Amino acid sequence: MTSTSPVSYKLAIPENDLQALKSKLAATRFPDELEGVQWDYGVPLADMKRLVRYWQDGYDWRRHETHINETFPQFTIDIEVDGFGVLNIHHVHQRSKNEHAIPLLFSHGWPGHFMEAAKIIPLLTNPPSGAPAFHVVAWSLPGFGFSDAPKKPGFNMAKMAEAGHKLMLALGYSEYVVQGGDWGSSISRQVARLYGGKHCKAVHVNMLSMAPIQPSKNPLLWLQHISTPFSEEEKRMVARTNMFRDKGLGYFHEQSSQPQTLSYGLADSPVGLLAWVYEKLHNWTDNYPFTDDEILDWISVYWFSKAGPGASLRIYYENLRTNPLENGRHEPIYSVPIGFSIFPQELVYVSKANRLLVGNLVYESSHSAGGHFAAFERPEDLVGDLREFHGIGGKAYGVVKGLTGYADD
Amino acid sequence: MATSNTDQAFKISVSESQIHELKVKLDLIRFPDELEDAGWAYGSPLKDVQRLVAYWKSGYSWREHEKHINDTLPQFTKDISVDGFGTLNIHFVHQKSSVQNAIPLLFVHGWPGSFLEVTKILPLLTAASKQYPSFHVVALSLPGYGFSEAPKQKGFGLFQYAEVCNKLMIELGYTEYVAQGGDWGYYITRALGHKFSKNCRAVHSNMPRGSPPKFIHNPVLFLQHALVPYSEAEKAGFARSAWFLGPGFGYRQQQSTQPQTLGYSLSDSPAGLLAWIYEKLRNWTDDYRWTDDEILTWVSIYWFSRAGPAATTRIYYEVETAKERDIITKPINNIPLGFSYFPRELVVTPRSWARTLGNVVFESTHASGGHFAAHEKPTILVDDIRQMFGKGGPANHVIPHKSGFDHGLKAKL
Repeated sequence: MTSTSPVSYKLAIPENDLQALKSKLAATRFPDELEGVQWDYGVPLADMKRLVRYWQDGYDWRRHETHINETFPQFTIDIEVDGFGVLNIHHVHQRSKNEHAIPLLFSHGWPGHFMEAAKIIPLLTNPPSGAPAFHVVAWSLPGFGFSDAPKKPGFNMAKMAEAGHKLMLALGYSEYVVQGGDWGSSISRQVARLYGGKHCKAVHVNMLSMAPIQPSKNPLLWLQHISTPFSEEEKRMVARTNMFRDKGLGYFHEQSSQPQTLSYGLADSPVGLLAWVYEKLHNWTDNYPFTDDEILDWISVYWFSKAGPGASLRIYYENLRTNPLENGRHEPIYSVPIGFSIFPQELVYVSKANRLLVGNLVYESSHSAGGHFAAFERPEDLVGDLREFHGIGGKAYGVVKGLTGYADD
Repeated sequence: MATSNTDQAFKISVSESQIHELKVKLDLIRFPDELEDAGWAYGSPLKDVQRLVAYWKSGYSWREHEKHINDTLPQFTKDISVDGFGTLNIHFVHQKSSVQNAIPLLFVHGWPGSFLEVTKILPLLTAASKQYPSFHVVALSLPGYGFSEAPKQKGFGLFQYAEVCNKLMIELGYTEYVAQGGDWGYYITRALGHKFSKNCRAVHSNMPRGSPPKFIHNPVLFLQHALVPYSEAEKAGFARSAWFLGPGFGYRQQQSTQPQTLGYSLSDSPAGLLAWIYEKLRNWTDDYRWTDDEILTWVSIYWFSRAGPAATTRIYYEVETAKERDIITKPINNIPLGFSYFPRELVVTPRSWARTLGNVVFESTHASGGHFAAHEKPTILVDDIRQMFGKGGPANHVIPHKSGFDHGLKAKL
């Protein structure tokens, strides 16, 4: 059903799809495994066997589906993206009771999804007194979750930003703020680059991908960067960055170059998809104690996604085939205030000197725990930062005209 | 299985339950979407994979190909002990020539290849002739591939694969032999040359590597390299190498770091395995016209392999972790080396770079052909091998009393 106004939506995976999944799970053929390797070679076999058995016999998707439907108001809406026609965009839209709440667009990444916002939505929309309130829009990116996928090549960061921006306009938010990690961070920054000042009024991210400082371009900054010693904490984060670069980028290279080849196994094999995503849930978080239900809830969004799991991989290809240094994705942003929350187990550490190239980076907050999926792992920390950034006395206080987040405007 | 020093004759016989399991999975296949007009830009095209899956489901007969392989390739298994890894049962093809003094030759495949790659060159190498030498040929399934057992512990690297190869040849009575390989076969034969040159007396490869000569190690080569411009073929090769080391490298990054994670979808999804391998069969060859039967047979060897497809990817992890590519780049100077250059190999190494690999006595450059030389260009590859080892060749008589010719036909030295 196409519509330029939001249409109420409830997840309702067809019973046939659930049965098909069960048939596949029953037919799972497992690989062998070397002795005693634990996580060295990838996801351990014992974990996969346990999860597949549970997925087949005990796990209840309908429980999770019902929970999402009852807890989070979901909608779909048609958004026209230049050159790509109409994409039907699925999203959660939770308004605060506070009419002056700040409209905020939360963008997930890969292998994230719209329900990464599940824990922060109630905190943002229903704060204690003294803290600002937000109206939260948590969308499924095009190609992810229950949104349409683009059908043609070239749906790059600018297009993602266009879709997100037009979504907010279509929901009646001419001015809004953005938040994201992973691809959501890049999308949020691109929204600020393209629509900052007039529409997008502030950016908050929990991850930064930056070009390294080039001595030829920024000689003084480069000197500063190489001559400033790292703290113990920074050294740990740099070590993690190096590990990620050396051992953690296989998925990144394959998805940037041959996403279609990879997509057959992920679309066809539940355990294949489970392993591919679960590895990131394990390696990218700060020892987050995922329950089996949480893992399967998460992977099920990919398994049952509207366009299939393969479509989600293409965000890498569309954005990494051209050099970010040339496609503008690392240009500094000066039009709006930028806030950055630093979590110790994030994948990529950006030095203080390098952060000077972000642009108008006016708020930073460091934490002692938490990893890549900050909204899911450390919701109070992330929300605390957003409240500081956007609240009274914060660097992004009152950026949206008339919507400060407080009751008595 | 009882360990045995003797060869067991072997015929591939995939069980009915495995065939049935595959059929069940093919019936349950769920395909991904695809962008409009994507062609090959994003990877294996959907229509190709769907066509191959449909044929695999009904039309393609594994039993027919299984029988053909068994009828064509004389196969055996043998227990080989590997220091620190126990005993591995190794599957191999062994075809003796009618020429008594034939040169024993070990053919080593790579990934995603198999012992099947020897099929076309086998009758050529073992043929008897007055003009060119004949060979006794052994083509093993590497541990973890085809119908060989896989190692169970970590750390099974190039020198372990080489140990298996060397012990196999010795136990077959070939205390001296020559080796030929591409892909992992190149790296494993390098390890053979480094560690077992008492037995492995010469190496030929169709995938030479090497780095630019450094003055400190190879002053003469360095000067040659500095003064002699790259040929047109070498320059064209740089573009090919750049493709492989850039957008063509994803599979290797994954297999070198998280092979187990990838292994679940390769083991569980026939379409996933098919797409993963098919992409290489197309991108790594020089416009080779694969038939659907060829593709499905190659993939079926992986699908029905004794240890499963995941085991085949671990060699990338082991070699990367132990940095063994660097180790085997050191020159081998005490045995002759030969290289055949094909323009669509993955990395087209300039000759001056490959000469840093040691005692290079034979070089041959071709105008066509890719990574799977034995399968794409069998006569050309065999011609090169015959030239290298035949009368007047630079590695002629590298094994005393094994000239490749019958008694009474002494090689002209």
